[in-house]
Amino acid sequence: MTSDNERKKRAKEALNKPARYGSDLDLEEFEYPESDIAELESLDEISSTEKQLLESVGIDPEQNRAAGAFIQLDNEAFLADVMIKQEGLEIMPLSQARQKYDWVENYLWNAVPVDTDKFTARSELEVYEGYFIRALPGVKITAPVQSCLLLKKSKSVQNVHNLIIAEEGSEMHIITGCAAPSSVERSLHLGISEFYIKRNAKLSFTMVHNWSEKTLIRPRSAAIVDENGIFVSNYVILSPLRSIQTFPRVRLVGLYAKTELNSVVNGVGESEYDIGGAVSLEARRATGKVVSRSIATDKAHIIARGDLVGLNEDTKARLECDGLLLSSQASIRAIPMLDARVEGAELSHEATVGKVGAEQLNYLMSRGLGKEEATSLIVSGFMKLEVPDLPPILQRSIEEAIELSLKGGM
Amino acid sequence: MTLLEVRDLRVEVAGIPIIGGLDLGFDTGKAYAILGPNGSGKSTLAKTIMGLPEYVVKGGDIQFEGESILNKSITERAKMGIAYAFQTPPAIPGIRLEDFICKICPDYACKGEDDMFMTNGCVCKDTLYDDFERLGIANLAKRDLNDGFSGGELKRSELFQVLSMRPKIMFLDEPDSGLDYDSLKIVGRELKAIRDEGRTTMVIISHHRYILEFLEIDKLFILKSGRLVYTGDMSDIPVLEEKGYEKFLEGVLPA
Repeated sequence: MTSDNERKKRAKEALNKPARYGSDLDLEEFEYPESDIAELESLDEISSTEKQLLESVGIDPEQNRAAGAFIQLDNEAFLADVMIKQEGLEIMPLSQARQKYDWVENYLWNAVPVDTDKFTARSELEVYEGYFIRALPGVKITAPVQSCLLLKKSKSVQNVHNLIIAEEGSEMHIITGCAAPSSVERSLHLGISEFYIKRNAKLSFTMVHNWSEKTLIRPRSAAIVDENGIFVSNYVILSPLRSIQTFPRVRLVGLYAKTELNSVVNGVGESEYDIGGAVSLEARRATGKVVSRSIATDKAHIIARGDLVGLNEDTKARLECDGLLLSSQASIRAIPMLDARVEGAELSHEATVGKVGAEQLNYLMSRGLGKEEATSLIVSGFMKLEVPDLPPILQRSIEEAIELSLKGGM
Repeated sequence: MTLLEVRDLRVEVAGIPIIGGLDLGFDTGKAYAILGPNGSGKSTLAKTIMGLPEYVVKGGDIQFEGESILNKSITERAKMGIAYAFQTPPAIPGIRLEDFICKICPDYACKGEDDMFMTNGCVCKDTLYDDFERLGIANLAKRDLNDGFSGGELKRSELFQVLSMRPKIMFLDEPDSGLDYDSLKIVGRELKAIRDEGRTTMVIISHHRYILEFLEIDKLFILKSGRLVYTGDMSDIPVLEEKGYEKFLEGVLPA
């Protein structure tokens, strides 16, 4: 296990390395999970409050429409289930996958370097658990796979490490919800997610977050996409929280590899959001798109980043960053970065940040809508995210979650 | 009976006087044309009556059903039964035209108060689609409001929306410009049907005779430099088209 020791060593060296973006956190003030995770027998062991939380992030706990599901409560218990008729889908806790397959080690900390910052370092050095979801070669799984992480304990860390693999020629759609009840006091969600999209595979990953006002969120995600592979990521955050900083990175390493990163942020309360996405165009004919839509109400502060790096010729990527400011005490900063290192890397961006247009408002009011109603219609239209590569059922889940949150927020 | 009346109205836009002392009246169920050279204040009049904030009333009054509406918001005016079809409406991304029609039309309203979007089970969908078909814009139903619509499509979408509101008086700002012959017929037929019902007052701002003659308008007003300079009827239209505003007005106005 030299590689394991080597990894721990690198982690230890990075323990004090601050994150590139976002406010710094003192990692000593939290409790870390101590024991290994326990398996739940059935859904009956999940309380109705927990089920409601799951529903708030678009997860159907009865999983009538899903190919399979994974539910994790803090770092204590999990439930993993694959529908019997769904062949070629593997869902299990990461620890089980590591026992089952030797090769899992090669995937861990490969997309996300363990010494990225103090958060990745600390995650490796503490007990961690998460899900392992894999579509076997050539298997097309059309019904969504659900996963959900609930954070319930106060002043502690939910230390998660997820591994998602879409093997060659497979197709899989994952919807993942993360939620915390409002009673949680200052807890940290530390989530490492590594995605591998093999040749001709297609993976969509839709994440809906519903945290509580005092949670701190520091996900660290990265994807590696091989030849002709497609990775679509939809990130929807709708609730208040203390702070979140995330900057997933997609490496397009194979010819014609393609990615689309969408994020929708409903900034409320006094929350701080620092959300972005990076696309690294490493192979010829690789294409990428980063779309970000944010609205800021109350005293929310949003930073929307996007980073396109063109490392090979004949590559193309676009960044669209739109923000709608709904309160004079809130702020939105759009920070687009375009970094072409070779000739023939075509990178472009468009960013707008502003208030709801008077012209649009007056127009809708002239059709009999009140000012508030017109504003909420403009906002809900602005937040509508249509993702062509998504199954309709997932598209609907996203729409419903956004509508629900907009209604609650106004 | 006079439905809407403008008395000695003075309007400024960005500090520049556009309408300077205008008196006009519109009766219930009649059809009117407002004509006049470019910049004469035709659109300004309609937008001022609608209550758009850039159009600042500096004097005079606008009365609707005998009550001044100067202090009413745009929404209130719309709810009272005043509608205005925009010449260049703004795009509203993320809102489908069919959902919006359902939202503003009392007859299509089959959704709950809080529903943002029409559900699949909406019972009015058939009637709604018949209307879309008849206007020749069924292709726009699922598109975002005004987003990337062509000039002719905008006109018909605006007309559909305004008709859907079931207004008492509607101001149509060049409903015929940019339309091809077929679309022009569609629009004409639609307006004629409304006119024959006789419940809605129509005020059409236009430069073309086709629609006005097809509708057999009751009265026409010619504005010039923000003032009413001539009141006439349908019989003036051919003369007007032949002579142009300048010569026509020279001939009818006292020297």
